[in-house]
Amino acid sequence: MTVELIELEGIGRLALGVAAGLGAIGATLALAFHGHRPAMLAAAAACISITVVGVAVIFGSPIAIRIGDVLGFSLIDVRYDALGGTFLVALGIVGTAASVYALGYHEAGRSRVDTLAYVIFLASLALVFGSASAFSFLFAWELMAISSAILVIGPKPGRTVVQAGYVYIAMTHLATAAIAIAFALWAAGAGSPDFAAFPAAAATLDGPTRDLVFLLLLVGFGTKAGMIPLHIWLPRAHPVAPSHVSALMSGVMIKAGIYGLIRFGIELLGAGPAWWALLVLAIGATSAILGVLYALAEHDLKRLLAFHSIENIGIILLGLGVALLGTTLDATPLVVVGLAAALFHTINHALFKGLLFLGAGAVQSATHTRDLNRLGGLARLMPLTALTFGIGAAAISGLPPLNGFASEWLTFQGLLSAGGATGLDPLARFAAYGAVGALALTAALAVACFVKATGMTFLALPRSPAAASALEVGHSMRAAMAALAIGCVAAGLGATPISAVLAGVARSLHVVGGDPVAAGALVPPPTIGTYQPLLVTAALVSSMIVILAVSRYRAMSARRAPTWTCGIAPEPVFEYTATSFSKLLRMYFERVLRPDREIIVELHAGTPFPRRVTYRSEVDHLIESRVYGPLHRASIALSVAVRRVQHGTLQLYLAYTVVTVVILLLVTRA
Amino acid sequence: MTMDAAAGTFLIAIVQVSLVLGCAPLLQGILRKVKARLQYRRGPSIWQPYRDLRKWWGKTPVESDSASVVTAAAPVVVLAAMVSAVLLLPIVSVRPPLDHAGDLLVVVGLLALARFAMALAALDAGSAFGGMGASREVAIASLVEPGVLLALAVAVAGAGTTDLAGIAAHGTLAGWSMFTPALLLAALAFGIVALAETGHEPVDNPDTHLELTMIHEGMLIEASGRRLAMLMYASQLKLVVVVGLFAAVFLPFGSASSAAPLAVAAGVVFASMKLLAAALCLGVLDAGMAKVRIMALPGLLGLSSLLALTALAAHLWLPA
Repeated sequence: MTVELIELEGIGRLALGVAAGLGAIGATLALAFHGHRPAMLAAAAACISITVVGVAVIFGSPIAIRIGDVLGFSLIDVRYDALGGTFLVALGIVGTAASVYALGYHEAGRSRVDTLAYVIFLASLALVFGSASAFSFLFAWELMAISSAILVIGPKPGRTVVQAGYVYIAMTHLATAAIAIAFALWAAGAGSPDFAAFPAAAATLDGPTRDLVFLLLLVGFGTKAGMIPLHIWLPRAHPVAPSHVSALMSGVMIKAGIYGLIRFGIELLGAGPAWWALLVLAIGATSAILGVLYALAEHDLKRLLAFHSIENIGIILLGLGVALLGTTLDATPLVVVGLAAALFHTINHALFKGLLFLGAGAVQSATHTRDLNRLGGLARLMPLTALTFGIGAAAISGLPPLNGFASEWLTFQGLLSAGGATGLDPLARFAAYGAVGALALTAALAVACFVKATGMTFLALPRSPAAASALEVGHSMRAAMAALAIGCVAAGLGATPISAVLAGVARSLHVVGGDPVAAGALVPPPTIGTYQPLLVTAALVSSMIVILAVSRYRAMSARRAPTWTCGIAPEPVFEYTATSFSKLLRMYFERVLRPDREIIVELHAGTPFPRRVTYRSEVDHLIESRVYGPLHRASIALSVAVRRVQHGTLQLYLAYTVVTVVILLLVTRA
Repeated sequence: MTMDAAAGTFLIAIVQVSLVLGCAPLLQGILRKVKARLQYRRGPSIWQPYRDLRKWWGKTPVESDSASVVTAAAPVVVLAAMVSAVLLLPIVSVRPPLDHAGDLLVVVGLLALARFAMALAALDAGSAFGGMGASREVAIASLVEPGVLLALAVAVAGAGTTDLAGIAAHGTLAGWSMFTPALLLAALAFGIVALAETGHEPVDNPDTHLELTMIHEGMLIEASGRRLAMLMYASQLKLVVVVGLFAAVFLPFGSASSAAPLAVAAGVVFASMKLLAAALCLGVLDAGMAKVRIMALPGLLGLSSLLALTALAAHLWLPA
């Protein structure tokens, strides 16, 4: 056993070194030789090494490295353990696919700065998941924020892109500020910025301070994760970034927020009052439902996917809520099943959302549009993109036997276990049952939304000439999408061992007893039901084989004829569009979505006959109009008020200084 | 002994699967007959669904010029999902034919898989009617799903497991005492959403062919020949699956708890009676109720979720 651990550690250290070296080579290539493709190859190889590091630390012992002392503090002070390793695996897989994809996907006008920022972005993500002290963590966190902001904005941004980038930078700094304050409050008690000293310090914090630290962590990491109501940057920033970057931002970067919540909010801060858990459950349910509802109202493919990231973060938060409920009871099974569900959904979301963003990028590069109302019919023109996107869509919709179902099943198990936990307050149990309803609503709405996204993009007749003349994308892009689609199927079929490994990761955390050997042990999370993906798949596949054998494959061959459209030749305008498909749901949920529609009828001059009818429908994003709108106006009003004291005369500023000094002297004299 | 046990399990599996797969069209035939008699019509024979299936099965499908592989694949996926759901449900016995494979969440997931494939196929031909049907199906399903899972959660809370075998065994052991106020409310909640899930009044009219009112039939409008036969058979199976889920969770009485021939025979009789009762109820509702306006459905189906939440509150706060 020990020999095995040493070997794993050796492999892990070697892979870490290789990843760092390849990253440096990639950065040099990008900067010095304007080599987009070689840099991406180096990045892909580095990401494979990162995956190896992740697997090595999940099954072996942690790896710690400390370099670059500045005034006694290390900028790079990392310690990868099983939890960090889990996120490294997600980063490694999506990063490899995104980098391979980027070999063949190059947006016009993207420069060497972008390529460099991409390599730095990957490195900063790897650092975030292992940082062992507050300084190192905040350094990596800021590096991640800035490099991704550069990628979002790009070299020649238009007006909307600049606005998106501005909102992103503002929100990400709100997050950093909240985290930094939380760390400062916490480290003051610890006397050290090392995270190793944090658990002991957390025990000495008094109640209100602990609550404040938890809320600050929730705001900081929740902003990065894109939870509602701190999500407003996400649907702006993700669609304008290049698609391989969107895949990484949505698949991995927002998970840094989840990583932070698990590491600091649950593991290091320790058990808290029940309202922490209830707050997380409420935010999770709200994010899940509102995220998918806004996605339904959307007809820009990448914005739709961005809203689904908010939905999936909500589902992950439901798992974390179960774990937090477990910590209040000191109930290990509940903590383990909740954390395993959250971690599994984190990995699964990285796989299918990465895949879907890459697919959206392929559609965009083939048709030059992301508007679902102008797409259609691509299944015959881009068969592999259609097949892989369809697999991703079925996975994110939570359909068995794919991976999305497996982690949603585990989340349901966690919520139902919490509902049945007799030690909990009945109100908390009722909240867990309420979350079951919320998750069911979310899953059904996700099916609706992905029938829309897949159907409108790939099926029926093309709705624009651009969609009619689309060509399948190149080898590297197809390979990347195929790899992630295979990942979705494999994670679905291998759900039983994977959830056992993730349960081990959960058991290795301090809050559950901190048994590092537990990470490698294959003990499944404690559930109250059975799901054997291999048996269910066997039932499905053998049924299909029997059906095909009985029908002697004749069902597959058919006579072709035009679609019956009441006697006239079928045209794309007869088809349902993304807007019309979601109309019923927009109206069912009109209290939340507040749809606003405008119908313009132009008539033939002098007749009552319409020449042209234009329909436009928009939904009102309540949180933006009701919360951020007033805040924005108030901050401008405050700025205008403050401007009055800014006269620009030197004497006045000197007077301010004198007054300040006098006030300070008076205050400190006491 | 273990050989005997394995043979017994196998026997029950064969009996249940052949009962369900063989009688699903008959159930629809009986339902239609009940409805017709209540409407003072003679109605077609109860064997008519078999004749329809045979007729469609013999015809070559015609597909749209714009159809992709989805049109050909969807009927196979939909039917396979329904057959798999039948394998996971305890109908004749308290144990499902495929034991230890999946719980009630998996059954609900398989229904969603079928819905996904069906709605995509409906969009494939590019007909407005297919789009209309698919759009309505997925919208109504999203109102149904919370009610289904919350109602099932009441039974899970009582039995302490999501495995249908465990829930059915818990119910048969508890006898009359299983009917707590919470469970009765949950059964009512499940009943309401089951009407929508199986496409019956007051949500959908399974016999309509007026384009503007169709939901399920709208999705089938471009299907033909052998593919139509598969999809129609799948929807007949779906009726049995939803009724079977209801029976396994809320009325597990009479299900065979051993592989003794008498127990299995009793299980078959009880299962048939439950299915017949369901066909009778649905026939009466189909004949006696008008369709609710589609914009009023959130009220009706939301009622189901609220009832189920009330049931959960009763489970948590009422003394047992």
